[in-house]
Amino acid sequence: MTRDGLWTMEIGPMVLVFLFSLLSTIFGVLSLAAAEEYTIDESEIEKKPYHIGGYAELRPTLFGLDRDASLYKLRFYNRDEGATLEEYNAALQLEGSLEKGIARLFVRTNSDYRNSYLGSHFNTTIYEGFLSIKPSSSLTIDIGKKTLKWGKGYAWNPAAFVDRPKDPEDPEQNLEGFIVASADYIKSFQGALKTVSFTPVLVPAYGDVNDDFGETGHMNFAAKLYLLLYDTDIDFIFLTGGSRTSRYGMDISRNITTNFEIHGEFAYINNFKKSFIDSNGNNFETRYDAKSGLIGMRYLTERDTTYILEYYRNGTGFSAGEMRDYFSFINIAYDTYVPTGSDASLKKAANITAGNYGRPNAMRDYLYLRISQKEPFDILYFTPSLTGILNMSDKSFSLSPEFMYAGITNLELRLKASFIFGDRLSDYGEKQNDSRVEFRARYYF
Amino acid sequence: MTKAFIAMVALLFAIPSFAVDGTALLRQVDRNLNPESYESYRKLINVEPDGRKKEYTLFTIKKGVDKVASVFLAPASEKGRSTLRLGDNMWFYIPNVGKPIRITSLQSVVGGVFNNADILQLDYAAEYNVEKVEESGNEYLLYLKAKTKTVAYDRLKLWADRTKKLPTKIECLTEANMLIKTIYFKDVKDFGGGIARPSVIETDSPLYKGYKSVIVFAKLKSKNFKDEVFTLTFMPNIESLR
Repeated sequence: MTRDGLWTMEIGPMVLVFLFSLLSTIFGVLSLAAAEEYTIDESEIEKKPYHIGGYAELRPTLFGLDRDASLYKLRFYNRDEGATLEEYNAALQLEGSLEKGIARLFVRTNSDYRNSYLGSHFNTTIYEGFLSIKPSSSLTIDIGKKTLKWGKGYAWNPAAFVDRPKDPEDPEQNLEGFIVASADYIKSFQGALKTVSFTPVLVPAYGDVNDDFGETGHMNFAAKLYLLLYDTDIDFIFLTGGSRTSRYGMDISRNITTNFEIHGEFAYINNFKKSFIDSNGNNFETRYDAKSGLIGMRYLTERDTTYILEYYRNGTGFSAGEMRDYFSFINIAYDTYVPTGSDASLKKAANITAGNYGRPNAMRDYLYLRISQKEPFDILYFTPSLTGILNMSDKSFSLSPEFMYAGITNLELRLKASFIFGDRLSDYGEKQNDSRVEFRARYYF
Repeated sequence: MTKAFIAMVALLFAIPSFAVDGTALLRQVDRNLNPESYESYRKLINVEPDGRKKEYTLFTIKKGVDKVASVFLAPASEKGRSTLRLGDNMWFYIPNVGKPIRITSLQSVVGGVFNNADILQLDYAAEYNVEKVEESGNEYLLYLKAKTKTVAYDRLKLWADRTKKLPTKIECLTEANMLIKTIYFKDVKDFGGGIARPSVIETDSPLYKGYKSVIVFAKLKSKNFKDEVFTLTFMPNIESLR
């Protein structure tokens, strides 16, 4: 027997015992750790009567300006900002709730800080703040400032009569609500009709209350009747009262297969007033019954690619000719300003832009396509996507690639760029920016 | 006498041997997993190959064979988000976005190996027919076929403990028998009220090599709810049922 063999014989068992003990200890610790890993602490699920949360975000943005565009001239006619603009945005959104018995108080505020070529700007708005009373699971009554978010469209909601319009470039941003009194009454059934719910809403517009909803001095009434019928969501909606002309709508949504959903919306707006301008600066007003609609679908492939496709017919929108007139008027006003220094016509153009030509997608026919790929190349929580919005009337469009990463708990990182394409006097061709790059870091707490 | 004896023996052999009623067995497995109507807390853990984890805590309610709803309690980025399933209909509510949107069973609201059908799991007997049952050792092996095309996985192979009649492993397969994921049921725990079931469910998938997803159950108890809470309109209020 060699010395090595002796060592093996004499020391081996001790080593083996030691190794076994060590491994047992390690595995014991590991299994303990595993057991600890897969448990739920009582503190994690304990219900508290209050909740405070929200998010903070930083959002620097770089704009590439189109110095020949009408909307560039309208905004920057009396200043030279160069070829690019930087903007630094920060936001703090806070929400809190307090619950006692059948009552719950909820408040959400939004504070925005912006540092741009116009200087620093800080603004805080109460997005929502309402008292909710729930006497039973069938009935909820809400009083206060609230967003209702009606409609089924992803990028547009023509039938959302009591909501502020979404930004189709960022449709998942939350919005400021209106002061309302509303109720939800729900009834469930067996059979083809599974659910009926009725939501009446009072929208007062007096003095400073909801003064941006429409004409003040009116108590408006809206309602939504929801049905889940033959596995299809159907809503019937109306609004009347005087601040806005009366309007009626409906929406529908249904899953066709496990990976294919279709939806649609329709809105009929009575006696809609349209204000427009010709290339000479003459103002016109016309009234007509406007019909708007949207059809869309959401499709998921086997490779986890999601397609959202929507066609939007904006019955309240401008025709390509009306839009060309508006852009031509700005160009003429600018050409007048350059030699004379008189900006009266440009100011007139600015007045008719706000809330009219300046609203998102102000023309008539749009196509929206968003393609997003969940976790490509096995990168968990990473979602790249590409969004395109096409103005079907003048063939101008925007393309926005986006990269989203949410792999760190409560932290969401998004890099988004937008590029626009279009001829002169077209919807996208006359935007003030040719491109935009934005980074957003949002931390939830 | 001899003829009578032979006839009796022949008759004895003619009686079919005892066969397991697959449908009844699957229903029993369902009931042993959950009461028909219940509330529970779940933690979903996505484990990455490097050991990094992402966790979600949910409060879940279920009623009957086709109604289930969940609300996220944590992390903060997901808090208040809720999901609802009524049969084949599924919706997802994000407080910031507002209105509930229809989702499909193959999508995933949390990422990772879980899809929506896993998170909003109905009774297996509600979605699958039993094609065949095999018995081996202390286990049953049930071959399940989806009742409709709208079910997330076309076929399941479900191994169940013969004594406890609880699942131990499920393989989720496509129509072409391609393995999508394997679900392992572990750590049987007594939740009280006569409910003793696996408290940990682990999932891996050949489509996500090296990744693992885990569901941990807590405070599972039988509870009845009104039908009205399983509606689109009630989705923002699911947390009030805790």
